[in-house]
Amino acid sequence: MTRAEHVNKPSRKKIVRLTIRHVVLALFAAFWLIPILWLVLNAFSVDKGPNLSHFFPQAFTLDHFRNILLPGGDSVNQFPRWFMNTLIVGCFNCLISSAFVLMVAYAMSCMRFKARKPMMNVAIILNLFPGFLSMIAVYFILKEFGLTNSLTGLVIVYSAGSGLGYLIAKGFFDTISKSLREAAWIEGANEFTVFWKIILPLAKPIIVYTVINAFLAPWMDFVMASLMLNSGVSAQKTVALGLFAMVDKVNRNNYFGEFCAGGVIVSIPISILFVIMQKFYVEGITGGSVKG
Amino acid sequence: MKKTLALVLVLMMAMTSVAFAEDISLRVWVGDNNDEEWINGVIENFKAAYPDNNYTIEVGIVSEGDCSKNVLSDPEAAADVFTFADDQFNSLYNAGALQEVVIDPETIIEANADGAVAAATGTDGNLYAYPATADNGYFMFYSKEYFTEEDVQSLDKMLEVAAAAGKKVGFPLSNGWYIYSFFKGAGLDMHINEDGVTNTCNWNATDTEITGVQVVEALLAIAQNPGFINADSDPFVAGVKDGSIIAGVSGTWNANVAQEAWGDNYAAVKLPTFTVGDKQVQMSSFAGYKLVGVNPHSEFVGDAMDFAAFMTNEESQLSRFELRSQGPANKAAAASEAVQAAPAIAALASQAAYATVQRVADPYWTPAATLGEIIANNNPDGTDLQTMLDNTVAGITAAALQ
Amino acid sequence: MSMMQQTKARGRSSGLTRAFSSVGEFFAGTAEAFRKGDIWTRLSALVCGAGFMARGQIVKGILKTLVEALVIYLIPSFIVPNLSKFGTLGTVVAQKSFDPVTRKNVWNDYDNSFLILLFSVMSLVLIIVAVVLWMKNMRAAYQVQRTQERGKHVNSFRDDLDDLLGKRFHITLLSLPTLGVVLLIIIPLIVMILIAFTNYDHDHLPPNALFTWVGLKNFRNLFNMSPESSFGYSFAKVLSWTLVWAVMATFTCFILGILMAMFINNRNTMGKRFWRTCFMVTMAVPQFVSLLLVRNFFANQGIVNTLCKNIGLTDWLFNIGAIPTANYIPFLTNPAWARPMILLINIWVGIPYQMLIATGILMNIPADLTEAARIDGANAWQSFWHITMPYIMFVMGPSLVNSVVGNINNFNVIYLLSHDVYVTQNQLMANANASEVDLLITWLFGLTQDRQNYKMASVIGILVFVVCAIITLVAFNRMIKGDKEESFQ
Repeated sequence: MTRAEHVNKPSRKKIVRLTIRHVVLALFAAFWLIPILWLVLNAFSVDKGPNLSHFFPQAFTLDHFRNILLPGGDSVNQFPRWFMNTLIVGCFNCLISSAFVLMVAYAMSCMRFKARKPMMNVAIILNLFPGFLSMIAVYFILKEFGLTNSLTGLVIVYSAGSGLGYLIAKGFFDTISKSLREAAWIEGANEFTVFWKIILPLAKPIIVYTVINAFLAPWMDFVMASLMLNSGVSAQKTVALGLFAMVDKVNRNNYFGEFCAGGVIVSIPISILFVIMQKFYVEGITGGSVKG
Repeated sequence: MKKTLALVLVLMMAMTSVAFAEDISLRVWVGDNNDEEWINGVIENFKAAYPDNNYTIEVGIVSEGDCSKNVLSDPEAAADVFTFADDQFNSLYNAGALQEVVIDPETIIEANADGAVAAATGTDGNLYAYPATADNGYFMFYSKEYFTEEDVQSLDKMLEVAAAAGKKVGFPLSNGWYIYSFFKGAGLDMHINEDGVTNTCNWNATDTEITGVQVVEALLAIAQNPGFINADSDPFVAGVKDGSIIAGVSGTWNANVAQEAWGDNYAAVKLPTFTVGDKQVQMSSFAGYKLVGVNPHSEFVGDAMDFAAFMTNEESQLSRFELRSQGPANKAAAASEAVQAAPAIAALASQAAYATVQRVADPYWTPAATLGEIIANNNPDGTDLQTMLDNTVAGITAAALQ
Repeated sequence: MSMMQQTKARGRSSGLTRAFSSVGEFFAGTAEAFRKGDIWTRLSALVCGAGFMARGQIVKGILKTLVEALVIYLIPSFIVPNLSKFGTLGTVVAQKSFDPVTRKNVWNDYDNSFLILLFSVMSLVLIIVAVVLWMKNMRAAYQVQRTQERGKHVNSFRDDLDDLLGKRFHITLLSLPTLGVVLLIIIPLIVMILIAFTNYDHDHLPPNALFTWVGLKNFRNLFNMSPESSFGYSFAKVLSWTLVWAVMATFTCFILGILMAMFINNRNTMGKRFWRTCFMVTMAVPQFVSLLLVRNFFANQGIVNTLCKNIGLTDWLFNIGAIPTANYIPFLTNPAWARPMILLINIWVGIPYQMLIATGILMNIPADLTEAARIDGANAWQSFWHITMPYIMFVMGPSLVNSVVGNINNFNVIYLLSHDVYVTQNQLMANANASEVDLLITWLFGLTQDRQNYKMASVIGILVFVVCAIITLVAFNRMIKGDKEESFQ
């Protein structure tokens, strides 16, 4: 009885605490959302440069979206080309990197061979070196093969070393019970069948995690891209490079609106990816980081 | 590998130079996207002028201020023809990244202003670049709505007027290129050494008529004036557009912006005087040029030179002035009526009497910018001004690479 | 052989001795193959496929011989020409002359120091791999001989292929990823480490100039303390900020992320999904977009400054002396403001991600644990401290170390927020091209990009590695006791 009363008539104190809780949450949410709101407002604003005097623009327009989706010959704005370039690199990187990560993770987690421990130690050491210490050498290696200023070269740069990022996937594989594999061996399956038919279907969350990360890499990176794509020709850029140039000293006052519109457009596929994959994504990280 | 390559090249050349038109592809870097309309026009004209060859010319955008960085990161991959501000001439020249002008240099030397030619000449006395504009300097923009022609003679008066109106006079204090104008104006010196990689600088002098400390004191006073704002090109443009900045130091590249914002009130003039101690001193400035360089690693270096010469000839420089308000280095183009009538060019010309040619080695820039930033922030650590200048000079005069 | 027995006798030995003994075993095995092998096995030392072809493994033998032929072909065409110049890194300076007839530049056969260095390293790696493979091949040839002598089944090519999907599946899995890592990670790394011992800088840029070995000069340079060459001073400054940043950035995001997740997941919170989505929105915007956006948001002439000015905050701060000018609040341009701001912005970017993970972990906490604690009369704080936190630390601990290392190398946040915006006020740092907000990694990047000072960048890169290695070693030794991976399966 007492418990039911408690639910029906919440005490004053409790109401106050509930209110405070939600007000605090609302404040935090506002803190997180205001810059994003400013992004969206700028994307729809009539101003070409950033809104400096008013948070809300005086008038709204779709011009920035039109410009960015249907650009003319303007080299600062070649968004559709950049988008296609990045999409292509993203897809191929996704295929190769995910394959590499899963392959290495399976070998390190489920198989036992002499070089295993030394290789894992080497991987740990390599991960400690700052990645772009070596990027100049990477550039010249690819230049010898004529792969700079090409999407192929960019795919290679992003995917070649991806095997080193196997730890989280290995952690996930470690949690899959060994008895499953043993049962398969008894039925005469070889390692390949176990990998393909038993482990991979169970590893959905970590596959999603790996795939998303690999797909997003070229959308986020601009250091390697700026090194590899050094021809200065706008149509060869990736989204990150292109948008970065839109807000440099020279262009900021004319292209900030387009930059924001581009940012909004890029965010759409990423949010969709996240919404669909959210569940797997979280399972992937948390499952994998049990063993980190 | 190089040998075989050279051999193949020689063979190819031998074959192609015989008769038929060659497919020639060139890549050219211009400073920013506003130059595109101009360069595309130049390319059309170039193709029309050389109908025998089959040219494919690609345009890339690389900022004129960052050109040497981009060229030097891999000289072989840089564009065949590139535009750069003359302060990078030494750096490019020393790294061997500039092709000596071997096709008809006399014409270029004759057609362009002496200063521009000097800026494009290497220590061996030969020409290594093509002068493109003579406007890589700065002067004062102002709005006639607030200032009379009398006011703009003195920085003190300008700041007073701006403060009274609740507006600002912009100056890029945290930028070595601009802060030079105060020190040079006060009679202190900074210039590149013979070696081409180090500087000489006496900004910390105590035995000159006006000491370095006095200049810093004057700058601190200016920076603290309510009518002053430390504004580089980008905030300057923003401030001009939203009306908060009513005058400021910048160059021809912002002439169109100021003209649009201020309309009939748009005006430009030489730099004003400023107060050091109890004296009024005329501000100096850097006079500079924009140059066009040819990459010696270009596969078609002869055609690249043809194109560089074409994009800097009288006609191209005039069209660059018309589309971009940039002052020509070509003597005939500079003498044309339209150029003479432009306020920004006139201001630049009257500033020229107080300007020095910009020849600076790399170690200058960061320490000078830092000095400006400290002054703009009113010396927050309370560093002794002489020590501050000693540190700056140590940085400016340091060996090119520590 | 004797080495192996010794190792066994000593029982569990350290990793290093184990590594040495397995190398020793490897050599011994090869020697044994020589001693005991028949004519075909011994012939395999010259023609790698001989031993296999003699025992009917024709395809395998041909393939091995082809690989051998390729290596032999590379010796005069690639390995010798490059390695012979490795000592000097080239002596022939590039020279050109313009040929007015062909209208092209004719270059001499010049040396490119960088390519010599790169190709020499490649040659060395190639030689090591080739020797190891050759020794392996000897052993394998002897194995096949033994198998045949014992009258057992010798694998056909078909069997070998089956093995690659069966008990030797790891070779199939690992060969491509390893090739990628060796070619684009390990070789470049060795090259860049070697550059720390050369004078590769603005004055020695290939292809137009040569660079050469200078020994430890660059390392000594780092500890030179004069105002003209303030690398040592700047290094100490940048290193300390890097460490402060890495620890602060990691732990603020970690702790606040967990707290936020718990706050939202609390049963008293209504509309959990809604709140969570609010925070997730920032994850959808790519990091470089949100960072460049925030940088304009907080710019000196930006919108936040306009608003602060309008409500009088700027003037008030100026009056109490918190900011140097009354024009704007230097959110990202003054060291006292920029460092906390960058940390704050990093929290803004990082918390949603942390929150997502923490939510996942919190949901996995066995309910009976918390329930039991409640029955025992533990309050919320006690149950958080004694149950939730240990569980989260158990799951997240190792990745926490990784994120400290990740933050030491967190280039994006610092570069995107400070590049072109931040001008240092520290003169000694300015003289070394560093600034107060630079991490080692951004400093390194600036040195290569703005000054082409590759030699010092390389020295700094090596020191970054040392710092990361020390942190990882210490942390892992304290946190992880032994290898537990078997116990999970």
